[in-house]
Amino acid sequence: MDILLQTHDLTKRYGDFTALGGVSLTLRQGDIYGLVGRNGAGKTTFFKCVMGLAKPTSGEVRIGGGHHGLNAARRQIGFMISPSFFPYLGPRQSLEYLCHVKGVRAKGEVDRLLELVGLAGVKKPFKAFSLGMKQRLGIAGSLLGRPPIVVLDEPINGLDPQGIADMREVILRENSDNGTTFIISSHILSELDLVATRFGFIEQGDLMQEVTHADLHELTKKSLVIEVDDGQKAAAALKACLGDPDLILDGNRVILESHLDCPDVIASTLVHAGLGLYRLAPQETTLEEYFIRLIGGRQDG
Amino acid sequence: MANYLFGEAYRIIRKKSMYLYFGAFAFLYLLLVFMRAGTGNADTQILQDAEVLSSFFPAVVGGYLFAAIYTDDLNAKNLGTLIGFGMGKAKIVIAKLVLVLAFGALFFGLIPLFLWAANTLFGGSIPSSAWQVLYAWAAKSFLETLAFSAVSAIVVYGLQRATFGMVTYLLLALGIISQLMSALLNWDMISSVLPGLSQHLMSGISFRVMVGIVSESMPLEPLVEYLVYVAAAAALSVLAFRKKELEF
Repeated sequence: MDILLQTHDLTKRYGDFTALGGVSLTLRQGDIYGLVGRNGAGKTTFFKCVMGLAKPTSGEVRIGGGHHGLNAARRQIGFMISPSFFPYLGPRQSLEYLCHVKGVRAKGEVDRLLELVGLAGVKKPFKAFSLGMKQRLGIAGSLLGRPPIVVLDEPINGLDPQGIADMREVILRENSDNGTTFIISSHILSELDLVATRFGFIEQGDLMQEVTHADLHELTKKSLVIEVDDGQKAAAALKACLGDPDLILDGNRVILESHLDCPDVIASTLVHAGLGLYRLAPQETTLEEYFIRLIGGRQDG
Repeated sequence: MANYLFGEAYRIIRKKSMYLYFGAFAFLYLLLVFMRAGTGNADTQILQDAEVLSSFFPAVVGGYLFAAIYTDDLNAKNLGTLIGFGMGKAKIVIAKLVLVLAFGALFFGLIPLFLWAANTLFGGSIPSSAWQVLYAWAAKSFLETLAFSAVSAIVVYGLQRATFGMVTYLLLALGIISQLMSALLNWDMISSVLPGLSQHLMSGISFRVMVGIVSESMPLEPLVEYLVYVAAAAALSVLAFRKKELEF
């Protein structure tokens, strides 16, 4: 797949504070890249450096093939870092203003976008918008002119459940119908999990891990948690019965990552081995839990 | 840049408050002309009006234009949109000056026509020779508006605070900074070393241009000084803008 955006060792420092510590990230055509991080982790700083709103201390940003100047290349990106429009303009006027500025001539583009984000027919000015409506207009602005790359910083902030579902639909549709590549940050990880094809975990300015959606689900797959009076003996009994099960021993706690479909066999094996079985329960690591565990390791370190 | 200029023109002419603001001033002037209709010599009164009004046109007319062109961008965080779209900071600074030039020329070009129309409506008439004086006052206000906008833009881009930018503009347009500078430049310690510096302040330059228009012999010197003022202010704006990171 073609690389649309690439950063190499992107660093941003404010005095002694390192907001970005050498982030190298690659965005490929067709990706929906979920940038996951806590508030202040460096997500917005990363976007600002990519969009030229902040000057990196060091490192490199490449957009597209890298044949044009960076400023010219930025025209391939639609973005919403925070929905910013003139307070006295309505949604149609706001998008028409952007059409003029960006030189978008496509007829019906404003109507298409207003329809897409559910703001068709809204006449009131931006200053009278709810937070959700502002977000919707911001997303419409970022999609104006069908840019190949769209950057969305916390796009579902302030949206109601229906709005969140609508925006998810918009992102997935633009990605599949127009081949638009997205890079989206959010701290609502369950929502990001529903759209992203790749994830990057950022903490304290460092990109800690990049994984595909499939890999992430491998990492957060289901397991069976077993609590017994003798962990060693339980592990041995399970190995004897199940062959070579995928298990982790943690004191008297056994985490079994295979044979999830036969808890009855497992329970019976442990009881027949004379073990005291206190707990046998399925468990799934959510994206949130995975993320907290990941950054927890960083914090502990 | 043309796309951006069209976009800006599109949004400014859709600013409803602009019509209310200038409509209110137009109404007040019409009321004034109506109240004094038939009480004096309309020929001289319109010239007196132009002289009086031109002393606060840079603040009243120019101030609104400055807010619409410069500080609205800060309030709407629009600079981020422009730079994120790949527009260079120098281009933005120059485009803004072009906008002040265009809107200033339009407004200050219309003001003499409005003064004439308002007076004609209530029975007055002005001799053709008065047009030159009316347009000379309008040109003075226009030149001051453009220059004060260029200087205040340094604050707008350097601090990125709409209020500071607006206050700077008003201090310049109301002549407060000019008076302070004039007092400073006329101070013995300075005037003995560099005499006559105060006439090179913007108020002095624009006055000399106005006199040039009326006398039909425009000296080159004030025009060159004026261009240096605006060009230097624009260059400083670009430097300040490049130095200051955008805030969200």
